[in-house]
Amino acid sequence: MSRIHLFSGGLELANLVVSSGVLYHSWAAVRDLYSEINQNEQQSLSVRYKVSQQPNSTTIAFFTWPACSKDYIIQGGGGEDLVSSSTLKESFPLFEFLCTKTNPQFSINKAALELFASIRDSLPSLKSQIDSKPVIITGNSLGGSVASLFTLWLLEKINLSSTKTRPLCITFGSPLVGDDGLQEATSKYPTWNSCFLHVVSDQDPIPRVLISPHNPIDSIYKPFGTFLLHSELGCACFEDSQSILDLLTATYLEGPENQNPNQVLEFYEALVQHLNHKVICKDTTQLVKRNTKSFEAGIITQLEAIGLVRPQQQQRNNGIDNLITRTERQEKKLVILKRQVFDPSKKLNDIKINMAYLEWYKKHFKDKGIGYYDSYKNSGNLSDLNVVRYKKILTCYWEEMVDEAEKKPQKEGASFRTRWLFAGTNYRRMCEPLDIAEYYNKGLKDYINQGRPKHYKQLEQWLKEIEKPASNPSQLKKQNVASSLTEDSCFWAHVEEARISCELLSSRESSIGEKESSKHNLVEFENYVLSLMKNYAVSPEIFLPRSSFMLWWKEYEEIIRKGIMGAAYYSPLTDLMKSRSYQNYATGGLEIP
Amino acid sequence: MASLKVGENKEINTDLIQKACSLAVKAHSKSSQKSYILEKTGGSSYVIFSFPGYWSENDWYDGEPFGETKINLDLFPSLRSIGIDEHAKVNKAFQQRFVDKISRNQDFIKEVEKAKNERKQIVFTGHSTGGSIAILATIWFLEKYWRSDASATSPLCLTFGCPLTGNHIFSHALRREKWAPYFIHFVMRYDIVPRILLAPISSIKQEFQPILQFLNPKSSRASTNTPPEALNFYMNVMKNASSVASHAACKLMGNTNLLLETMANFTALSPYKPFGTFVFCTGNRKLVILSNPDAVLQLLFYSSQLDNEAECPDVAQRSLQQHFSYGNELKDCFTKLDADHAVLLESLEKLPLSADSTTTSSDITTINAALKDLGLSTRARLCLCAAGELEKRKIGNKNSIDLKKADTAMKYLQEYQLSCKHQGLGCYDAFKIHKSDKDFEANVNRLELAGIWDEIIEMLKNYDLPDAFEGEKEWIDLGTKYRHLVEPLDIANYYRHLKNNDTEGYTKKGRPKRYRFTQRWLEHAQRLPAGSCGESCFWADVEELRIKTSSKEGYAPFKDEVLQLEEQAMKWINDGVLDKDVLMENSTFMVWWKKQPDPLASCINDIEGFTITSA
Repeated sequence: MSRIHLFSGGLELANLVVSSGVLYHSWAAVRDLYSEINQNEQQSLSVRYKVSQQPNSTTIAFFTWPACSKDYIIQGGGGEDLVSSSTLKESFPLFEFLCTKTNPQFSINKAALELFASIRDSLPSLKSQIDSKPVIITGNSLGGSVASLFTLWLLEKINLSSTKTRPLCITFGSPLVGDDGLQEATSKYPTWNSCFLHVVSDQDPIPRVLISPHNPIDSIYKPFGTFLLHSELGCACFEDSQSILDLLTATYLEGPENQNPNQVLEFYEALVQHLNHKVICKDTTQLVKRNTKSFEAGIITQLEAIGLVRPQQQQRNNGIDNLITRTERQEKKLVILKRQVFDPSKKLNDIKINMAYLEWYKKHFKDKGIGYYDSYKNSGNLSDLNVVRYKKILTCYWEEMVDEAEKKPQKEGASFRTRWLFAGTNYRRMCEPLDIAEYYNKGLKDYINQGRPKHYKQLEQWLKEIEKPASNPSQLKKQNVASSLTEDSCFWAHVEEARISCELLSSRESSIGEKESSKHNLVEFENYVLSLMKNYAVSPEIFLPRSSFMLWWKEYEEIIRKGIMGAAYYSPLTDLMKSRSYQNYATGGLEIP
Repeated sequence: MASLKVGENKEINTDLIQKACSLAVKAHSKSSQKSYILEKTGGSSYVIFSFPGYWSENDWYDGEPFGETKINLDLFPSLRSIGIDEHAKVNKAFQQRFVDKISRNQDFIKEVEKAKNERKQIVFTGHSTGGSIAILATIWFLEKYWRSDASATSPLCLTFGCPLTGNHIFSHALRREKWAPYFIHFVMRYDIVPRILLAPISSIKQEFQPILQFLNPKSSRASTNTPPEALNFYMNVMKNASSVASHAACKLMGNTNLLLETMANFTALSPYKPFGTFVFCTGNRKLVILSNPDAVLQLLFYSSQLDNEAECPDVAQRSLQQHFSYGNELKDCFTKLDADHAVLLESLEKLPLSADSTTTSSDITTINAALKDLGLSTRARLCLCAAGELEKRKIGNKNSIDLKKADTAMKYLQEYQLSCKHQGLGCYDAFKIHKSDKDFEANVNRLELAGIWDEIIEMLKNYDLPDAFEGEKEWIDLGTKYRHLVEPLDIANYYRHLKNNDTEGYTKKGRPKRYRFTQRWLEHAQRLPAGSCGESCFWADVEELRIKTSSKEGYAPFKDEVLQLEEQAMKWINDGVLDKDVLMENSTFMVWWKKQPDPLASCINDIEGFTITSA
């Protein structure tokens, strides 16, 4: 295939945000709220909110005074300004769902969190005003942080499987909200990240407060979502979190020291108006070099729009060139990464082919009267060698799948799993017996507790979560039992344990304690097998003449004959085995009371 | 005699263009009773039909925010995507106008047929909304006459300042049928009319009436001054055009930021999309010609962008005035028509991103000058590049699947089919019993093929293949061959695992898209009704009937269905699309069929060469 030319669409995305009117609309909601407050009350550090209904959307706006925000944000400082999710777990567990196995912890800015906590009691009523219409959540300064937290909280509450219900959170001049843990949590799930758009003016200090000015990339706080940066020349969107830190610092035009912090409200008013007019005007980029590659050209136009590269500059200086290279590298990396998302469906057909091979293997040894479990265990065959390969491919695939599903947040993970669980269960039932065979071949014991791979446990656990309680087996299930797989993929581990018990019982060297527990185990095993047969949950292949199960029965029969299990020992299973009525099992004709 | 080069091998006589242009304008001024005018010049090789435009709000927007509706498939059966079976959309008012005034007009039909029989090239033309009628008339002609009569002369459609008429499926279908090159659209750089439908009616409601009043050549305009609403009108239309262009550009650039999806809930974007060849008139005697629909959409926005805000009132005026300057502009253009003045933009992915003209290559200099005349910034150039890149990628996708065409898996399955027959059992039944190594190998090959075909279907669903793909004979034939050979195995697999017990029958629930799609390809190519090529589902029909007739009710209630199946089987076998192995003695079909009451009376017995061995 020919090489793919990449493009950077940050300018186009920003242009869409403006020309669609979304930006104008959400700022108008903030402005509305602000003018209401302006007339009535003193400035104080509290968050105000307002819900407004439009014919096609619902808007929730949060407002705080920028002047009151700045110092409050960095209160404590030096790490004191962050609250960790483990602290929150007890007092305010609303964001617990963001934690995953691979990303167990994150921290949120204390000021933002306290403001959000102050409206905790209103959350249900706010949510109740969201109906089927799409919702825009917006806010300025710390109010924007509250909007972000509110949106995060909302993400767990709503069904995101349809894009129709996805909320859009637009903040104006908000400080960063959380650390790399929070960034990681949202970016792991691209749908979540797609709900956030942060608008930042080049004259607004507040969004930059939590970034260390000399080494922006190493800041504790990390941005998430998309950032729309603005200058008098235009605007552009950026998504890579490192680039954003870099560019937030580089674009800042410091105003006079003593200026009223509330003035930033006017900046945003002017910004929105300005962009609204500018959207049908041309950009003025003049690329210095010919033959610039498309991605670099895109980045240059973006940096120019946010005022970093000046078109009139004849000579670009080193600093700018470095910034272009750095931004290009970062944004490109993100684009490439996102294009290569794990897509299990692509491989699914290959996996089906491998399963087909295994199916054939199973059938082959059924015809030989031994069963694939025992054939694999004895491994005398060439085709067994091939099976090792198929099994390895399958195992790699499903380990990755399970891993991927675990990484996802609870709810999304669940829906991801249900789609693959059927195939996963099939795989487990087909392949795990082979793992068990390998395990006991090594002379090891107690597979279930000590040797079972994690992904089998998970696959079984997930099946249990969605399975309905078992009813009596239908006529159909009985008739088909010959072609179905044993439901409990650990069946053969139980058989192996039973054989070990038999050995202990017959051995002279075993202690009395060992013998007693072996007896107990064997009785339990009998009940286990009987209940499986009753439900037609075990494959009739276990009755093949050379199978381990039949070997066990021979050993056990001997033990019973010797009277070790007690004089005239009798049980439903032994009766079944002795009378050979298990032969009716394969055709569905065996009734067990 | 000068001609304009509009494509690789396509040139159009400039006299014809000028004549069409003046006729298109003339159509307006004729008495409003006439729904078209016909120009026949004795001795010339063509006739020209031109259509007048209409200028009330309802002639543009009827109902929906963008005035679109589903295409009338009775008149335009090809205007859909085949596999996905999505129908094209078209402007409702334009379609209605065409249905009312043209498609039922016996005079018009008579004249068209007469011209066709005289082997004349038929040119349909129109200015403004008249152009949209010309487009529909051309497609109607292509569907009704051209498709069935290969000897007919190809039609030509010339429009001048014509609004967008159909959506992306409309454009896709015309390219698939290879009809798009018959359409040439002339657009002045600032003419607002081709852009109007990029805006919803709600955004221009206030200004639209007076603007239409101005645009209507029939109305008695007090002066030639543009109305005061021009400024707002221009800005609102352009803002919406900007949304559409940016959204499309994000997609062209392979955007990975999902914010774009989230935004979709808050933005209503126009569904219209260009098709055919566009000739942009820069306004300084130059023509820029291109036919990539994605690139044209971008150009519609970028070419009439502002240099700066101060320019706005002036451009707004021009956006209306230029709608009337096609005749003069083209006349000027055609007086001097050379490579510098008519630039064909191809291989858009190689377009220079930099306006830097210090290059030695004269080609690049010419292209750069043309792009500059259209006022294209770096950003606009990037968008055109992305459009070219996408087209290239689609072709790349096709090349990569073309490589998989000569597949060994197909050969294996063909041999499998033969060897099964030698052993006295059709491959359906052999596969269903699944007893020998060969059955297993066949299963692996079946799965490998499924992988290839599923990939194709996935690409079609995302429109990741060239538009022409579903019309390519080679692939239609291969698809049919694949379907006949492998679908029975899929059906066998389905009933082997008794999947019908959990869900419904194969045809209803279990049939993979790779077979549904390939069947539709064939039906479309052969102009057959939907569902008429279901022979590859024969075994599923047998299995379903077998289940039905084995129930308590028995044969009686399903008698008609059984008879129908028998008749179809006979037809399919005689047509050679169903393998005769269905008639082998031990096939599922024959075993079941012999159990039915009175098999000897069935038409199956009439199949040539069929003898029933023992009843």
